Amino acid sequence: MKLHFNDITLNISSNGKTFALTLDDKTIQAEILHAEIGKLDLLIDGQRVTAYVSSDNAKRWVTVNGQTFVLTKSSGARKGGHAHHAAGELTAPMPGQVRAVNVSEGDAVTKGQTLLVLEAMKMEIRVQALQNGLVKKLLVKQGQTVEREQMLIEIVDTLES
Amino acid sequence: MFKKILIANRGEIAIRIMRACKELGIKTIAVYSDADKNALHVQHADEAIHIGDSSPKESYHNADKLIRAALDSKADAIHPGYGFLSENASFALKVASVKLTFIGPSADSIRAMGDKAESKIAMKKAGVPTVPGFEGLDSEKDLKKAAREIGYPVLVKAVAGGGGKGMRVVNDESELSESIESARREALNAFGDERLLIEKYIPNAHHIEFQVFGDQHGNLVHLFERECSVQRRHQKIIEETPSPLLTSPLREEMGQAAVKAAQAVGYYNAGTVEFIVDPDTLTLRQGSGQGFYFLEMNTRLQVEHPVTELVVGLDLVQWQLRVAAGELFPYSQEQLAQHGHAIECRVYAEDPANDFLPSTGKLLQYIEPRGPGIRVDSGFTAGDEVTHFYDPLLAKLIVHAENRAIAIRRMQAALKDFVVHGVVTNIDFLQAVLSHPDFANGEVTTRWVEKTLESGSLLPENRQQAVELQSLIAAALADLAIDNRQSKIENRSEPDPYSLWRNPSGFRN
Repeated sequence: MKLHFNDITLNISSNGKTFALTLDDKTIQAEILHAEIGKLDLLIDGQRVTAYVSSDNAKRWVTVNGQTFVLTKSSGARKGGHAHHAAGELTAPMPGQVRAVNVSEGDAVTKGQTLLVLEAMKMEIRVQALQNGLVKKLLVKQGQTVEREQMLIEIVDTLES
Repeated sequence: MFKKILIANRGEIAIRIMRACKELGIKTIAVYSDADKNALHVQHADEAIHIGDSSPKESYHNADKLIRAALDSKADAIHPGYGFLSENASFALKVASVKLTFIGPSADSIRAMGDKAESKIAMKKAGVPTVPGFEGLDSEKDLKKAAREIGYPVLVKAVAGGGGKGMRVVNDESELSESIESARREALNAFGDERLLIEKYIPNAHHIEFQVFGDQHGNLVHLFERECSVQRRHQKIIEETPSPLLTSPLREEMGQAAVKAAQAVGYYNAGTVEFIVDPDTLTLRQGSGQGFYFLEMNTRLQVEHPVTELVVGLDLVQWQLRVAAGELFPYSQEQLAQHGHAIECRVYAEDPANDFLPSTGKLLQYIEPRGPGIRVDSGFTAGDEVTHFYDPLLAKLIVHAENRAIAIRRMQAALKDFVVHGVVTNIDFLQAVLSHPDFANGEVTTRWVEKTLESGSLLPENRQQAVELQSLIAAALADLAIDNRQSKIENRSEPDPYSLWRNPSGFRN
């Protein structure tokens, strides 16, 4: 069977107790020595490895040897690369709360102007216009909680509108 | 001694204080906001009172609500912890005015040290070295004249300041006017006070602070130093004691200066006198009294107090409670000594790969390291939600060992055993700092993190490819095992080849 994490495809076949995992043209032998909730003791190509694994929807958090990785499991369908935002579409660089909204839809803004202020964990981040233009869409209100990468505001060139 | 106290704080420090109370037989009252309904500090307390909305203004920062909660629950005293209202003189006064004890110094001491200009003047008068500079200047013309006299680079700094707000480094006279203006604006916004002071800027400084401790009977000692130079955006990341920079005579001299500073404002309870130390002038000094300067005094318990506790062997929070209740502090300066070396790492929920911005979420796994000489002060457990409302500090990992080299090794091993899933942490970054030769050599100054990050020689993502591959395999096998278990549960008559997953007790033969 096949499993996909990030952009990597793993082919896995089971042979009784052991697994053969193929990645590109490399094959690795692995065995589950012991498993409990959130933790696996593995033998990978003869080496003992303890891994802590948690899942959160498609995300897998894995810690091996003190290093933590966040992997995303996918169905394997080719994606057209990462979602691209147009230059004027500004997203939240961190999760937090919208502390101030300084503009309204239709306002003209200048490059570098502070449009919104986000706050999280005592830290303030100003969301500034990257270009001169007009506020086409304002998607958040003061006091609202936002996730990281959530779209906040869209600025368009004066000509476009 | 008190019978019952209210802890006007949350997270790890609230729990730390409750532990001390339990050992002294004092009942504890926790307060909590909406977001902290199920928080660990609430579970640790004998009683818990809901004080409002998640926003600090409506809860932990609201003096009237906290005092009302203390009176309603018949507490004798309030411990403010650190942050929030811990250095608010009017809160300390309000607490006293309703006949409760504020566990900390007097309101007068807090006020005297809260004003950067007033405290600097008091320190000069007491003979404590301060950074060359001027206070009480108002016009740009006077500030310009002062800057010329001091010599660039200079620092303009809000008198009511803290945390780097309202502070600007000015390298050249051409930048002065704009810096004054922006520092004023920021200070007015943050503190409602636009007064500034101006002083010499010392670029390659160590931040070294001295713990002081006093009772209400005139006994006051210092409990040696903490080296806190590993900082980013004026936030401390790693603290240790002893400082690798201090020699015995310098330690003694700075300790005496710290005691003088505290005495000058009639200090009692736990406090910290912060100094900046200029390693360049230190080599030139030889008892000239130059090389270290008073920066400010924090009139409360510090986040990093555990390293002092381990090396000096005293429980600072217990002593805070005891001296607040009127007891004598029984140790003289001669009886106090440093034993071994302690380091603290602050484990933050922040993402080094995303410019160290906060990371929030539910803790899917949270496993603290254990072992000889390892202490973890934390306010979270697996399943808890890390929200955007409060400080990103997840835990303080503290180690104690015979000497600095062993303490560093112990910290590296302990960090390796710290598992946090659900929020991104700075653990990799802490490892990168600990393994850097500059850290090993004790050559880290307060601008080191920023400079070293910029130069690319401090890589938070120093990943081993082999480990990454192992993680991938682990993720895949975990998914297979889970899929298999789920299908087997639906069809129980079949023997289960992955019975491991059905045997959570985990015994293996």
